[in-house]
Amino acid sequence: MTVDASAHLAAELIRDEPYYRPVGDEIDLFAAAYAGRLPVMLKGPTGCGKTRFVEHMAWRLKRPLVTVAAHEDLTAADLAGRFLLAPEGTVWHDGPLTAAVRLGAICYLDEIVEARQDTTVVIHPLTDARRALPLDKKGELVPAHPDFQLTISYNPGYQSAVKDLKESTKQRFVAIEFDYPEPAIEAEIVMREAGVAAALAGGLVDVGLRSRNLRGDGLAEGASTRMLIHAAKLVRGGAPLDAALRSAILLPITDEPDLREALAAAIAASLPEAARL
Amino acid sequence: MIADAPTLEAPVGAHRAALTRLLAGRADVGEALSAALARLDARWSAEETEVWASGALGLVHANAGGRCLAAYFRLSASAREQEAAALAADARGAAEVARHAGSAAALAVLEAMPAALLRLPDAGARAFWWRGLVRLAREASDGVAPLAAHAHAVLAAGGGPAFESFVAAGLRATGGSRARRTAFFALEDPAARRLLERAGGALGFEDLERRLKLFGRALWGVAPRLAGLEGAGLAPAPQRASIAGELIRLPHVYRGVPPARVPPLYRAALAHAQAHLVFGRRQKVGKIRPLQIAMTGLIEDARVEALAIRRFPGLRALWTPWHEARPGDAMTAPMLMARLARALLDPDYEDPDGFVEKGRRLFAEADGRLDDPLLSRAIGGLLGNDIGQMRLRFDLKAYVVEPLYRDDNLALWEFDEPPDERADEIEQAVDAARPTPEERDDGRPSDEAPEPEAGRARPVSADERGPVVAVYPEWDRAAGAERPGWTTVRDAPAPHGDAAALEAALQRRHGFSERIARLVKGARIGKAARLRRQPEGFDLDLDAAVDAAIALRTGDLPDERIHRASGKRARDVATVILLDISESTRDRVGGATVLEIETLAVAALARAMEAAGDAFAVRAFASCGRDDVRLFRLKDFADRFDRDAMARLAGLRSGLSTRLGAALRHAGAEVEAVRAHRKLVIALTDGEPSDIDVADPLDLVEDARRATLSLRRRGVDVFGVTLGGAPSGAVFGRANTIPVKKLEELPARVSELYFRLARL
Ligand SMILES: Nc1ncnc2c1ncn2[C@@H]1O[C@H](COP(=O)(O)OP(=O)(O)OP(=O)(O)O)[C@@H](O)[C@H]1O
Ligand SMILES: [Mg+2]
Repeated sequence: MTVDASAHLAAELIRDEPYYRPVGDEIDLFAAAYAGRLPVMLKGPTGCGKTRFVEHMAWRLKRPLVTVAAHEDLTAADLAGRFLLAPEGTVWHDGPLTAAVRLGAICYLDEIVEARQDTTVVIHPLTDARRALPLDKKGELVPAHPDFQLTISYNPGYQSAVKDLKESTKQRFVAIEFDYPEPAIEAEIVMREAGVAAALAGGLVDVGLRSRNLRGDGLAEGASTRMLIHAAKLVRGGAPLDAALRSAILLPITDEPDLREALAAAIAASLPEAARL
Repeated sequence: MIADAPTLEAPVGAHRAALTRLLAGRADVGEALSAALARLDARWSAEETEVWASGALGLVHANAGGRCLAAYFRLSASAREQEAAALAADARGAAEVARHAGSAAALAVLEAMPAALLRLPDAGARAFWWRGLVRLAREASDGVAPLAAHAHAVLAAGGGPAFESFVAAGLRATGGSRARRTAFFALEDPAARRLLERAGGALGFEDLERRLKLFGRALWGVAPRLAGLEGAGLAPAPQRASIAGELIRLPHVYRGVPPARVPPLYRAALAHAQAHLVFGRRQKVGKIRPLQIAMTGLIEDARVEALAIRRFPGLRALWTPWHEARPGDAMTAPMLMARLARALLDPDYEDPDGFVEKGRRLFAEADGRLDDPLLSRAIGGLLGNDIGQMRLRFDLKAYVVEPLYRDDNLALWEFDEPPDERADEIEQAVDAARPTPEERDDGRPSDEAPEPEAGRARPVSADERGPVVAVYPEWDRAAGAERPGWTTVRDAPAPHGDAAALEAALQRRHGFSERIARLVKGARIGKAARLRRQPEGFDLDLDAAVDAAIALRTGDLPDERIHRASGKRARDVATVILLDISESTRDRVGGATVLEIETLAVAALARAMEAAGDAFAVRAFASCGRDDVRLFRLKDFADRFDRDAMARLAGLRSGLSTRLGAALRHAGAEVEAVRAHRKLVIALTDGEPSDIDVADPLDLVEDARRATLSLRRRGVDVFGVTLGGAPSGAVFGRANTIPVKKLEELPARVSELYFRLARL
């Protein structure tokens, strides 16, 4: 039996500083949590910078980053690892979580609620005083590398009543709350990420606010920072503003005709010249 | 040659002869007949007269009576360019009406015809007219006479086609209620007038309400309070919006606006009204002249619009197209004011008039202090004087604010003593905050709803109470123990209500059926899932294959199910839907009661579940003390959700109290008895449990919580959809409480939630 420890992980050490514009005290909080090796939960709506923040923190703390996007079919084996068949016998192959545990990486489990609860419990022994990952199949208990840390993201939106983390899972984490930043900061981010002028970025952020006003009233979520950046990039690439808004925001965000018409009108009202949507 | 000429057996003139013979001795019609024949002979050939006579004979045979015949003959004589065939068709139509609705109704129709013909230019248009009337005579004969008396108004709205569809709509809207029907066809019902005003097919307030609310909320972050604005009595709907307090009332319809411009017009009106609400303040009228009142309003409009444009620059483009006044218009005070209004909004507008220029200058000079609400009064006062000195006549009563999208500006003033004719308009506006029966959106007539059995909190004698179906314990909070056999659940009869009205209400919700159909489709197809450890499949299941290989090598018996397949996960779920119908569900939210919306939500959900093929039962409950927890069985697991079930749902009435725990225990027991992988109870309730024999509602909250916990332990998931009010996680637990804050969203929400819950 051999262990194919993750040569590919080295590649996950982030060399260049990922741009992250701090919004509050999240950097200090995370750094403090990391110093105590506490598991962290990033709460917030989609596209508000959670992933970017973890990348930034991994760079800042000089730790490799292992990211896993959770989905409904994610099994415990997908996280922890499994035996594979080789000509000479079976070979154990570490899953991304095990690799991060051995190597002392930061492991980021994105949208953890999506995974089934029996999958989620594999992180329990890692996130309490034990700090170890049992590999039942292999009969091994992998103690966490002293630098290992686990971060998860969690969108307490619309579906929280239906899909939710177990209480015993939630209570293992310290939480950092994220939301779309205030307009001036968000405009700065849009400007920087899309390389557009301040006026356009400001206008787009205002468009975002219009849609966020409809959160919970037909729209599950308003336009994210990510969407605004997409719109800005389209404009930068030569698309007219109205077409960019349509493609990057209006069409993706809802299929309901009433809602789309109302949002289009509100967006047109908040833009300087009547952009026809 | 005429198509329906007399048949071969009857020689030309036979019908005519028969007609004259039959009516020969009748003093009441003889004269009218001769007069008609004299006219017709002068105009038509013998064949044509024969066609006409055959029609008239039909009327005779229908026993329409002398007065009807005379009316028909007079009509025939006076109708100038009419063809014989068209007049014969009239006779046939009148005969049909007489047969179903009696001769008085037929007479009313025939007497209305001379005027009606102005709007019914040809035989085609007339066919609509008769189809409508004959249908009405057949289905609701008492509506014919009132409709005939108002036929001109209905025809004015859009001729024959509008007439026929008006009849159809009236029959639909009034259901079985005779009183409502008469009111409708006599155009006394506001719904009837609204229908006429929109007969051209243009959108009205009702159609756009949701979009407007969303638009307003997207702009300012709060949903505007909106209501439709109705004319008083028979008066047509006012054409200017009106604000009362926080309530923005918009005309039910803007007449004469091209359909494509209607939605932007409503948006312009809403945005203007919101600008008043955000930036305006009421002022005392005090001593001020009429012109100054109007001018102050005009400046205030410009002021709040300018401020709104600072925040939302695109609003200017929403408003400017409605300003059409320009130099060269007649020099009257209102015209000049309309030009000033335009000049203050539209920087590209040019107007050489001295007054307009002065207004523009004063307003521009005030640019730095636009947020001062007293500004309007100051500038308005000055400009009002100016117009006064120009000796232009001005009549405040006849004055209408221009342009169309602006409101009547009544809300600007605190009248010391409201001028009479406007006082009741204000009254009415305030009134609109309280919904009237017409505003119910379930289409059910409120006047004749049968008083429900469960609706009265009268004491019930032992034999009147329904049969006992179960007895349950209840939690005694003080003692910290269960009281065994404490509550008695009884079967209550579920009366039938108007299934068609419920159906119609369901149809009326925009885009709703599509949304639900989509959910069902998603559920039916099921999420394509990767199934593991399958005997066959497209791919190896690595974990299973490795396990099998290891088993082989260690000499164990391998499990041969080593494939992955993609397939549907079977939906194996059983659900009891539990509706709270206690007294509090009588509360109105918007135009409808909580119960009505609950009913709609359950109807939609049940439809969807039925379509998805899921097992479910529907129960409603209310209680009157621990001995009488009533359970209404609207649909059992074994039944289909059919029209009867719809009717039982439509027949629910609010009343009595909420002993939630007992109802939950019973629903849980019912679903437990069904074989399914996943078992759900979904309770729709609008508040905290309570009952007449329990002093502290917290006792019942705790009992319901215990009931929920015990069900959960037994594998039944209980979810509470809590309506309005504060979401209370106390009973169902935070994660299983689904607060629906906006009641209007409930119908769409509940189905969405169910399909998420039932996902495996
Ligand atoms: N504070 C920020 N600093 C820099 N960039 C940001 C910030 N917030 C958002 N962004 C930008 O928004 C984009 C989306 O953010 P990110 O992918 O981190 O969202 P997320 O919260 O992880 O979303 P999801 O929950 O959908 O995964 C990023 O690519 C980045 O360009
Ligand atoms: Mg106004």
